[in-house]
Amino acid sequence: MQGFSYIGSQLVDLCSALLLLTCFAIVAQRRLSACVDLFALQSSFLVVTAALVAYLTGNPHIYIAAGLTGAIKVIIIPRVLKKVIDHLNVKRELVMHVNVPTGLLICGGLVMLAFFIAQPIIPLGNLLTRDSLAIALAIVLIGLFTMIARQKAVSQLVGFLVLENGLFLGATAATYGMPLVVELGVFFDVLIATLIAGIYTNRLQDAFDSVDTDRLTVLKE
Amino acid sequence: MTIAVVVLLSAPLLAGGLSLVVHRSTWLHGINLASIGALVTAETVLTHTVLSDGPVTALGELVYLDALSTFILFIIGVVGLACSFYMRSYMDEQVARGVIAPSQLNQFFFLFHMFVLTMVIATIANSVGIQWVAIEATTLATTFLIAFWKRRESLEAGWKYLILCSVGISLALFGVVLLYYSSLHVLSDASQGLNVTALLPVADRLNPQVLKLAFIFILVGYGTKVGLVPMHSWLPDAYTEAPAPVVAMLAGVLEVVAAYAILRVRVIVDHAVPFAFAGELLTLLGFASLVTAAFFILTQHNYKRLFAYSSIEHMGVAMIGFGIGGPLGTFGGLFHLMNHALAKSMAFFAAGNIHRRFHTVEIEHVQGLAMAQPWTATALLISGLALSALPPFAAFPSEVQILTALASQGVPGMEFAGTSGMVTVALSDQFSRVALASVFLIAAVLSFGGLLYRITGMVWGTPSEGIVRGERWTLGHLPIILLTIALIGFSMFLPHPIKKLLEQATSILVIQ
Repeated sequence: MQGFSYIGSQLVDLCSALLLLTCFAIVAQRRLSACVDLFALQSSFLVVTAALVAYLTGNPHIYIAAGLTGAIKVIIIPRVLKKVIDHLNVKRELVMHVNVPTGLLICGGLVMLAFFIAQPIIPLGNLLTRDSLAIALAIVLIGLFTMIARQKAVSQLVGFLVLENGLFLGATAATYGMPLVVELGVFFDVLIATLIAGIYTNRLQDAFDSVDTDRLTVLKE
Repeated sequence: MTIAVVVLLSAPLLAGGLSLVVHRSTWLHGINLASIGALVTAETVLTHTVLSDGPVTALGELVYLDALSTFILFIIGVVGLACSFYMRSYMDEQVARGVIAPSQLNQFFFLFHMFVLTMVIATIANSVGIQWVAIEATTLATTFLIAFWKRRESLEAGWKYLILCSVGISLALFGVVLLYYSSLHVLSDASQGLNVTALLPVADRLNPQVLKLAFIFILVGYGTKVGLVPMHSWLPDAYTEAPAPVVAMLAGVLEVVAAYAILRVRVIVDHAVPFAFAGELLTLLGFASLVTAAFFILTQHNYKRLFAYSSIEHMGVAMIGFGIGGPLGTFGGLFHLMNHALAKSMAFFAAGNIHRRFHTVEIEHVQGLAMAQPWTATALLISGLALSALPPFAAFPSEVQILTALASQGVPGMEFAGTSGMVTVALSDQFSRVALASVFLIAAVLSFGGLLYRITGMVWGTPSEGIVRGERWTLGHLPIILLTIALIGFSMFLPHPIKKLLEQATSILVIQ
């Protein structure tokens, strides 16, 4: 039994690490549609992690959450985003506020920061998933950074979704999932938020003839 | 009791559904008024129950109501009612002028009802998690309301609002996850782990390290929604671009609901962590907001932004009150939330009227309001005076209470400042109290001067050519009069139920 749970926690760690790795790939990727694909890949890692945790802890309601993640974040949201991108006249992130190597370095720093913040509270967690909390925080921070560093509305949206993935990993891994009502509500909110942001992107495109958020400078002091 | 809660939830839901299928504008307004009326009635019943029986739960522990949440419900009801009256003339005029198609009214009312519904859920939810879901849902419901005119500026404001608030709120979710994490070791039933009723009794056994981290995330997250500096940058844009009744709800109610969400968690945190921790953070953000907003009020030339920054200022003042804590500071903070909600919704009603007449938001292009729109001019002056916290308006006593608390108690944690690492470490206790009180006073006086200077400039003088003079009485003027009465009345005499609600809410927030 000891060995079993050891392998289990190693597997959960591995999956969380893969999630983090896809974050770096997203930061390094310039093409919008590839970013969306990477996000879908990251979400599928999330599904695997959640299913693993569900299996190892015997909490059936995490399966539901994993299934919903699969349906919403692996299938629906990427499709919506692909549609939005098709409608746009930009396929590439031509200008980033921060170039790729610097971005990756900053993300490395953010990971260290996340582990530093989470260090005092990690020992309190469940044996199985203790390191995942720090990784989740790192993903949240990288998602935030992506939103700041990119200027296309769509890539900001991808950043937001990555951030959300980090939150979900934190909720699943650290606490074996929040109460089901809350998780359902969170899924609902994320889905609606993405749809709304998609509609916005189209409207911005029509109104400004661009989705560069840098052009959004009508309102100033 | 349960019936009242069901009415509270079903009235906006039902009204929202009906708004999608009904097409006559009279009917839409009727449904809206009926829904808000039902809401207010249910609130009155609930207030009565809570005052006589104490905190209650309903719908299988999903709903928890105590004096604090009932007080917030009261604000939602009053401002919502005022908005509904105001919308009658406002929206009809927009349709008549052809700014919006009649079919867009359906969309507007549907979103408006959803906005009210999500705020009600956020207020009465027992679970901090459901509260989070509801607050994020308020962002989603309002983002299209802010971008309702579909101009470039409003799209920009809406996008900024959506992204900044969603991100902020996501950080709050991390805080909620951490809160849950801390409860796992203490509570036997994990499904209760986010319920306020389950957390409060065991709060002193929760892990302080985790709670501290959770509180920081929640403060930053919901603080974005409150519009505290430095997370405020969406606020002036959104308040300038959104239709006036929507802004009145955003400024009057949404900020209050978000502040309430912070306070809810704060009570739990205070049980396990020294009181000074949360108090210091709240005071810090409060001062940042107060001082920054005072500066921007002085340099403002757009009257809607002027009121937006004044919102930031007043939320800062309230946060300072909560940060100092104790009966005086907390009471002052809650009272100030209410006064600000009433005065600010009135200010935006006036701003909406001015904008419809003058078609500009530039202060210097608006002159002679007293001749062009005497009623609106009066409303603008009254709300301006009330927002400057002058007597005889109710914001005066609440601001004085907060100032008194600041000067007499000082910021919590100053005495063991050695561990806190704030800049004020080296200063002696008394000196820092005097210094902070002076900063508070100077900022308040600056924003008072700035606000009144701009407003009086708009009221006096002669209106330029081409501006229609005279103002017809409409239903939209009724809430302005009622709010004025409330603002002046509350400063002299606080009706017994409201006073009791405030006192009980204060005792919930103050830990002995």
